[in-house]
Amino acid sequence: MNSLYKRLAIPYQVWLVLLVFLPIMAILLIAISNLTTANFNLSDISFQLSHWNDLVENQSLVDGEYFNSYLTAFKNSFIYASITTLVSFIFGYFLAYQIKKSRIKNKFIILTIIILPMWSNLILRSEALRSVMLDNNIFKSIFGFDILPFSVGTPAAVLFGLIFTYMPFMILPVYTALEKIEVNLEEASLDLGLTPFKTFWKVVFPLSFKGVVSGSIMVFLPTFAGFAIPKILSNGNIVLIGNIIETKFTYNIYNVGSMLALLILILILGSILLLTRFDKEGETLL
Amino acid sequence: MTDRYSDYPVATLKEYGYRDYSKLKPVTRILKQVLSFVIFFGLYLSIIIIAIQSLNSSSVMSSFESISLKWYPNILQEDDLMTAIGATMIVSLIATALATILGTFFAIGLYAMSKKKRQQWMLLNNVPILNADIVTGFSLMLMFILVNTFIKTVFTSLPQAWSIFGLPTLVLAHLFFAIPFVILNVMPKLKETDPNLMDAALDLGVKPLKAIVKVLIPAIKAGVFAGMLLAFTMSIDDFVISFFNTGETFGMSFDNLSVWIYGVIGRRDLSPSVYAFSTLLTIFTLVALIGYELSKNRKGRVKIKK
Repeated sequence: MNSLYKRLAIPYQVWLVLLVFLPIMAILLIAISNLTTANFNLSDISFQLSHWNDLVENQSLVDGEYFNSYLTAFKNSFIYASITTLVSFIFGYFLAYQIKKSRIKNKFIILTIIILPMWSNLILRSEALRSVMLDNNIFKSIFGFDILPFSVGTPAAVLFGLIFTYMPFMILPVYTALEKIEVNLEEASLDLGLTPFKTFWKVVFPLSFKGVVSGSIMVFLPTFAGFAIPKILSNGNIVLIGNIIETKFTYNIYNVGSMLALLILILILGSILLLTRFDKEGETLL
Repeated sequence: MTDRYSDYPVATLKEYGYRDYSKLKPVTRILKQVLSFVIFFGLYLSIIIIAIQSLNSSSVMSSFESISLKWYPNILQEDDLMTAIGATMIVSLIATALATILGTFFAIGLYAMSKKKRQQWMLLNNVPILNADIVTGFSLMLMFILVNTFIKTVFTSLPQAWSIFGLPTLVLAHLFFAIPFVILNVMPKLKETDPNLMDAALDLGVKPLKAIVKVLIPAIKAGVFAGMLLAFTMSIDDFVISFFNTGETFGMSFDNLSVWIYGVIGRRDLSPSVYAFSTLLTIFTLVALIGYELSKNRKGRVKIKK
């Protein structure tokens, strides 16, 4: 290739550096300032760190018990994201594996049909799920029974919404990784006397692990930092870290929002480093 | 001679460690099918409910009265919904078109680099994809506020209500996450192309830019197309990033469909026409994707026949 073409990437290098680093600089700057309004002059900003104390000291009284709302939200985010990732992994891997094993000729169509719900509006889908979790719902009025055994506001409701919204993000990379495994390897393993289960465990699974890592990150991160699904499906009862950032944004308390966003960012940088150990150019991200 | 050996006991398959699981097979097969169906149903439940509600003659989500198609023509009567659809389309089309063109050229540029350098830049390229939407959205918003303040202090003649929030911020924010997806789709196709192809074109005296358009882009067009589709779906479906960066431009609110619906369900007065619109879109997507896939197969078959 002509080395002249390298120049084509220069605008993108500038763009990436600007749009990756400037916003991070902005949250860094505002996370250590006193900024709490939307219309501000740069001259009004001054250095302030007192809100960082809230991370450890912010105690609220709920049901006669003191607890730290930020730490609780981080803990909730972590628990919900972990469970969602684990269940999506089990179900998503299972489904991807079944598609790969199936004798259907046009697997792409099956895959497309499975991930089709992803193309429809996320907020609307969550609202539809919320409506069937209510006591009087449209499903019950037609079929006479409740399709989902849990009601709005319970952890199970939120988990159901998260798992089935983000599972396609697990299915896709896992399927891509599975598809790349050569059939010869499996046949060799079976010929050499391994049982089908051992073949799967010792040959197929390790080779598809790259897809599992990509998928887990693609499920974990939006679950960890998202706010729409927990808010809709729990009526605001279950507070994840994203919900706190949304509230701070609504009330223009930008410095606290930035502080929390910064903490999420650190977590993400960790995951990106983890991913690059398995997948150098992000080929399984699609 | 042979009799000497027949005295020895013959090892059975069991003694080799072989266990016969063939009786379990029908059971596991049924279990697998049931589990697949349950997962499939879980994925589709929300879509099914949306479709049912779009056919419900009552506007209440809690009970089904009778089948009616009235919410479908009613889509056109819902002004707010139409504005939101319009805003979504404007932002997504502009962002997708720009992201596809720019992303393709950027990918070619990155491809021309040495492998090590390319990997470093691809790492940075993946940051917008892997970064949590809330961090991207929130941090871009803060940067845009700073830029907005800066512009206003420089150009003091701008009216008080003027702000970059709206179309410009939304397009920039969508480009920010759409370009990486285009690049990720184009890059593998670039790696598949024969490097001699471009060298031959250049040796034969084609100008570098013309060589890209005439030789390279036809070779990678499948990747460009896939990247465009992905960028478009990501852009149209985006909620979190748009939520933080939306605003008004030319007196029109550029809240996209997701942001608008999020606001409306907070007030609990969502029109069933929104469900009708979503159902239409789902059907359209399904038909388009299957049609595309079938036509691709037919083309492939014709080629083999020749």
